[in-house]
Amino acid sequence: MKKRGFADFFFLFFVLYLVLPIVATTLYAFSSKWNKTILPEGLTFKWLATLFQDAEFIQAFGRSVLLSGGAVGVAMFVIVPAIFVIVLYFPQYEKFIQVAVVMVYSFPGVILAVGLIRVYTTVGVPMILVVLGAYVIGILPYIYQGTRNSLRSVDARQLLDAAQLLGASKRQAFMTILLPTVYPGLFAGALLSFSVLFGEFVLINLVVGSRFETVQIYLMKKLSSSGHIASAVVFIYLVLMGLLTFVIALLTKRSKGVTNI
Amino acid sequence: MSYIVIEGLHKKYGHSTVLSNIDMRIEQGEFITLLGPSGCGKSTILRIVAGLTDATAGCIQIEGKDMHDIQPKDRQVGMVFQSYALFPNMTVKENVAFGLHMQKVNNAEIEQRVQEILGIVHLTEKANAYPKELSGGQQQRVALARALIVRPKVLLLDEPLSALDAQIRKKLQEDLRAIQRQLNMTMILVTHDQEEAMAVSDKIFVMSNGEIAQSGTPTAIYTKPESEFIANFIGHYNVLPRQVLEKMIGGVLPGDGLKFAIRPEAIHAQAMEGDICFSGVAKQSLMSGNVIRTTFEGECMFTMEQLHQRGQLFEIGKKYECYVAKEDVIALS
Repeated sequence: MKKRGFADFFFLFFVLYLVLPIVATTLYAFSSKWNKTILPEGLTFKWLATLFQDAEFIQAFGRSVLLSGGAVGVAMFVIVPAIFVIVLYFPQYEKFIQVAVVMVYSFPGVILAVGLIRVYTTVGVPMILVVLGAYVIGILPYIYQGTRNSLRSVDARQLLDAAQLLGASKRQAFMTILLPTVYPGLFAGALLSFSVLFGEFVLINLVVGSRFETVQIYLMKKLSSSGHIASAVVFIYLVLMGLLTFVIALLTKRSKGVTNI
Repeated sequence: MSYIVIEGLHKKYGHSTVLSNIDMRIEQGEFITLLGPSGCGKSTILRIVAGLTDATAGCIQIEGKDMHDIQPKDRQVGMVFQSYALFPNMTVKENVAFGLHMQKVNNAEIEQRVQEILGIVHLTEKANAYPKELSGGQQQRVALARALIVRPKVLLLDEPLSALDAQIRKKLQEDLRAIQRQLNMTMILVTHDQEEAMAVSDKIFVMSNGEIAQSGTPTAIYTKPESEFIANFIGHYNVLPRQVLEKMIGGVLPGDGLKFAIRPEAIHAQAMEGDICFSGVAKQSLMSGNVIRTTFEGECMFTMEQLHQRGQLFEIGKKYECYVAKEDVIALS
């Protein structure tokens, strides 16, 4: 009984540790004044309204969506087909992808940024494209896991074989059978990658900086000028991430049941 | 010329030989079974016939046409997979109609043929269900219907019943055979279950280590095993070395075979004229359905099987005289 009480206490402590900053930030985004009291003295939408009237924020938001979405889009067109081919037809080469996946995790952002700057500043490639390329590689683990798990869960190779024996070409089998079957997993991987990239700060800040201001750089700037605005930015970011997580959970649940999306 | 001819088929993966010198001749409307333990290469033969795997050497002809450069989609070969490979994003009806859509058959004919085949496999009421809403047996029927509807020249069945429980499996074996006879379709079944092979086949090819160990009708395979492997794999044969058996019967056996096989049901307790006699102490009796399997210990261990209804119960620990007809003692090569 005593042990249980101890465990409950620690559980509660960790929940508070994780939730309290989120709740406090959200409250601060809606508080008119919150300096000397335990709870805000009043609530307001002023900071959110200010934020949405700020063209700089809208542009930063658009850049973040463009950059993250662009990287995910490129990954979908370049990496996903490669993973399909390797998993289905050359499984012996999968070990190389797995090594690449681990390498992505093993490079700290700062080191990666310094490396990219040293290599590409002299080449003449726009640095924003360099970051985009790094992002495409950076989301390899999420894209790879999502795609591979989807393919394995439906025994994709056998589905392709079955479709071909029924008279379908490889392209028809891929488009009519495989893609609709693995699409929920692919989409979940894409959303996860998008949310990870949307929150990325180190690489974009060090390589490009304020020349291409994203939401994270905008947030960094606002932290020193207005805590309320910065909290409002975090709130919007949390809402967006919450929505993405909800959609991912929904897709994952649907893909486990009858896949009739 | 035979309907399907397989000649000198070889398959290697790196340095490992999976199939070696496979020759088969199959007539139209025959139900053929490739029987063998896991890893003996039987599924590889199916995949090569279907065009899903390339052979290292050898040739396959269907209706006199060499299949070497023909794509799987153009071979007119149907296949039912072990895991059924039903398309999870399609209903039963859509799964079954898929092949006809690929052949660009008109919608009215598709509808009529789908209803007809669903009737044959008793799944008309499940037409709008998704595969995951069906039992294993129903999924197997959908896979069969989907393969049959395109009227393939040959239907390949890769252990389609192995994931089902015994009762459903037996029912589906009967259904499969009935459908095959009804449509007069050439079918090649792969299985490791000798009872299944015996139940459905016109001809069995028993495989071992990538080679055909013996082929023939189920009766020929069962009653005349040519090797110890066949005798052990096909049933509960008693395989006895010549010296031991000669010592047991107190006489000399004809021929030069080093080992002999005796079917357990060929051994009986009542003497008949010309029978070979040997004795043993009853050690264990096990009932398996309507069969009692009794193990005796004489010069070596041997087993006798009797039907339960007429079977004599043996007292464990007691010595008995056992008999077998001379023609039931089969010399092995």
